[in-house]
Amino acid sequence: MKNIVKGTVQVAALMIFTLLMNKLAELLHLPVPGSILGIIVLFILLETGIIRLEWIDLGASWLLAELLLFFVPAAVGVMKYIPMLKSDGVRILIVVIFSTFIVMASSGLLAAWIAKQKERRASQ
Amino acid sequence: MIGLICLLGTLGLYAVSKRIYAKRPKVYLSPLLITPVIIILILTWAQIPYESYNKGGKWLSSLLQPATVAFAVPLYKNFKVLKKHATEIIAGVLTGSCVAMISSAFLAKCLHLDTSLVISLVPRSVTTPIAMNVSQDIGGVPNITAAFVIMTGLLGSMIGPMVLRMFKIDNDIARGILYGTSSHGAGTSKAFENSALSGTISSISMIVAALFTLGAAPVMMHMLAH
Repeated sequence: MKNIVKGTVQVAALMIFTLLMNKLAELLHLPVPGSILGIIVLFILLETGIIRLEWIDLGASWLLAELLLFFVPAAVGVMKYIPMLKSDGVRILIVVIFSTFIVMASSGLLAAWIAKQKERRASQ
Repeated sequence: MIGLICLLGTLGLYAVSKRIYAKRPKVYLSPLLITPVIIILILTWAQIPYESYNKGGKWLSSLLQPATVAFAVPLYKNFKVLKKHATEIIAGVLTGSCVAMISSAFLAKCLHLDTSLVISLVPRSVTTPIAMNVSQDIGGVPNITAAFVIMTGLLGSMIGPMVLRMFKIDNDIARGILYGTSSHGAGTSKAFENSALSGTISSISMIVAALFTLGAAPVMMHMLAH
């Protein structure tokens, strides 16, 4: 029970923090959205010890654990584009599959290669 | 009232599909696929427009931003690991993000898709809020981009294990980079199934990819246009 209250308060705190970051990004005319600014600012606040990890740890892990849930309404939004997807769906599918495949192959293989080089250098 | 019912219904369906997925972790049972498909079927059957559904749904969407900010926590907890692998992460993510934008636009153009669709496809590999932002910036349709982002996440978690086997990528770091760069949040939860290290690396890759795409997409569009 204590944890439920604690987690809820922490989630609320993160929501308020995000709202503030959105306002800040708007005020400063930053080209980044508030959520990205929020990641950077929150990270700096944690790193400098201004915000202690235990103040937000539980709330943050709740939000991250249910990340997929927050995507559901946007996914349901696809229904507005069903006619478009009916005519172009196959071509779009081809683009997404092929492109994702080569993104995976290029980033994964490059990273694996660099990791291997590093290991080799370390063992020498 | 209808909004509240839609919200509670979504929560209920999500909870059930998550249970099922925990017992049978098959891609086609992913909560991100099953939940919206069932909801779309119900809404279509009951003739409820999306706008009414979203009166409740928007409460969940509004948690997407704080959830994105929450990524600062794993970032902070694992900063040492990340510093140690900074070269792999930066090289992998930057290459992957460029490949994502260029190949999406190129393939879409080759297949004679409409220009607005081509542009909306460009930022599809990064997390929804940022992808929608980028889409707006470069003249796409943010809502359509959101659909492509979700498609990418689902397809990415389906073909990911196959790509890992095909190219024999067994390094946890490389696996994390592969998932985070190619398929954002959905890929990251797949990477967490692999190992905690892969998941962490995947979250940071996703953040780096989002930041980079945000800055690079307008430049890339400018170059592609000429």
